[in-house]
Amino acid sequence: MKLTLNKFHVKDIQFAEKSSFEGGVLYIDKAELAEYLLKDSNISSVDFDIARPGESTRIIPIKDVIQPRYKKSGTGQIFPGFVGDVETVGNGETNVLEDCCVATSGKIVAFQEGIIDMSGPGAEFNSFSKMNILVPLIQPIEGLDKHTHEATVRIAGLKTAAYMAKQTLELEPEETQSFEHETILEMGVKYPDLPKVIYVDMVQCQGLMHDTYVYGLNVKGILSTLISPLEVFDGAIVSGNCAAPGHKNATIHHENNPIILDLLKHHGKDICFVGVLLSNESAMLKEKMRAAYYTSNLSRIIGVDGIIASEEGGGNPETDLMLNCKFHEQKGIKTVLVTDEYCGRDGASQGLADVTPEADAVVTNGNGNQFVVLPKMDKIIGDIEAARVITGGNANSIGDDGTLSVEIAAIMGSCCEMGYEHMTTRLR
Amino acid sequence: MAKTIESFGIPVVHVCSIVPISLAVGANRIVPATAIPYPLGNPELSKEDEFKLRKHLVMQALEALTTDVEGQTVFKE
Repeated sequence: MKLTLNKFHVKDIQFAEKSSFEGGVLYIDKAELAEYLLKDSNISSVDFDIARPGESTRIIPIKDVIQPRYKKSGTGQIFPGFVGDVETVGNGETNVLEDCCVATSGKIVAFQEGIIDMSGPGAEFNSFSKMNILVPLIQPIEGLDKHTHEATVRIAGLKTAAYMAKQTLELEPEETQSFEHETILEMGVKYPDLPKVIYVDMVQCQGLMHDTYVYGLNVKGILSTLISPLEVFDGAIVSGNCAAPGHKNATIHHENNPIILDLLKHHGKDICFVGVLLSNESAMLKEKMRAAYYTSNLSRIIGVDGIIASEEGGGNPETDLMLNCKFHEQKGIKTVLVTDEYCGRDGASQGLADVTPEADAVVTNGNGNQFVVLPKMDKIIGDIEAARVITGGNANSIGDDGTLSVEIAAIMGSCCEMGYEHMTTRLR
Repeated sequence: MAKTIESFGIPVVHVCSIVPISLAVGANRIVPATAIPYPLGNPELSKEDEFKLRKHLVMQALEALTTDVEGQTVFKE
């Protein structure tokens, strides 16, 4: 399977009479995009705003962040099961808007939504602050239940991202990046001497809006399964997750999964990157055991030497992470874990809710409890009052002088457990 | 909390849906519960069956509370 990403760098987004992409500027016809989104009868109104790097702007509350992509060729369409039909993706060409994302906002769905600051100290905690962001402010109809509200905002975000990238469809990309990935049987013949590594992508699927979608299916309760890394780049995995913003895997993280990108870079050179196993994080111990056993069974059937497992969310998912580690190691498969920590504001508490002696190679992506005071911003997109109720915030988060006091768990993607950002913690 | 209360000599039963976490934090008497969103019930059961489940969990917890233990113990069925 071969997939080429056609990359277009976005220098600015502006509202205009007609949507287009010219000279690095993405022009958006608000009325046309609104009409497209309002086809969903659960949306009562939608408006849009733009946030640019370096501006004194704070976006809050944000449910999901999505990178605009649209398929130019190959089978299926981006975000299969939502924007595209349920059809195999991960081949042909996909147009990608770089330095650009969608951040869905509007009426808060649940308390686990996040913040992006476009400048100041808060901007240091994620890459989104360096992107041009289109913010759809989605207002649901009266009385919409929370689960339908979540689905409505999720799908509106995906549609917005697809609409944006579609503007480049007839244009020549500034750069291209191609990925090829063989079948597992071919790899066995081609790279007999390279260590075989699989990536265990742990997806949070606990119900109550802590869910992840694959080809449009909520994968809560499925047995662990295989997916091609190239399918992931075409939006086969979508976040419907209202887990803590600092360490939920937003859709943009899946589209650009840095562990997959790194493994593909090493594939065929010093390792053989076999593929991606999706392993559920459930809310029940029995299901956690089943997911971890089944994932390790698949790893053994495939015959891998090692796995890298990344977590989503924190607390009870640490049990999923540790069980995956334990069961793989018991089968003689070396395991590296990727996580973040919640070790208190002073960093002195135990960072993980669960541990196992087999976990002797663990990468961490920061302390979600780290406390920051963020300066007042000139412009708020969304509703600053949400800061009092979101994860990482509290009733006193908004100062009289407009400053915002939060733990960095409130900042979108700050401690991303795929290693999308650059933070870590140091043992003293 | 379980550890702090026990440090005053009062025995504690930790009714907990994710047992490994309870073991990791050091509870001594552990009774497995249903699930994180509903540790002490199960909305998928009928009202009568759910009552039976809840009563069973409480009885199990009371039994654990009155049982001498040598170190961490998980009370299963």
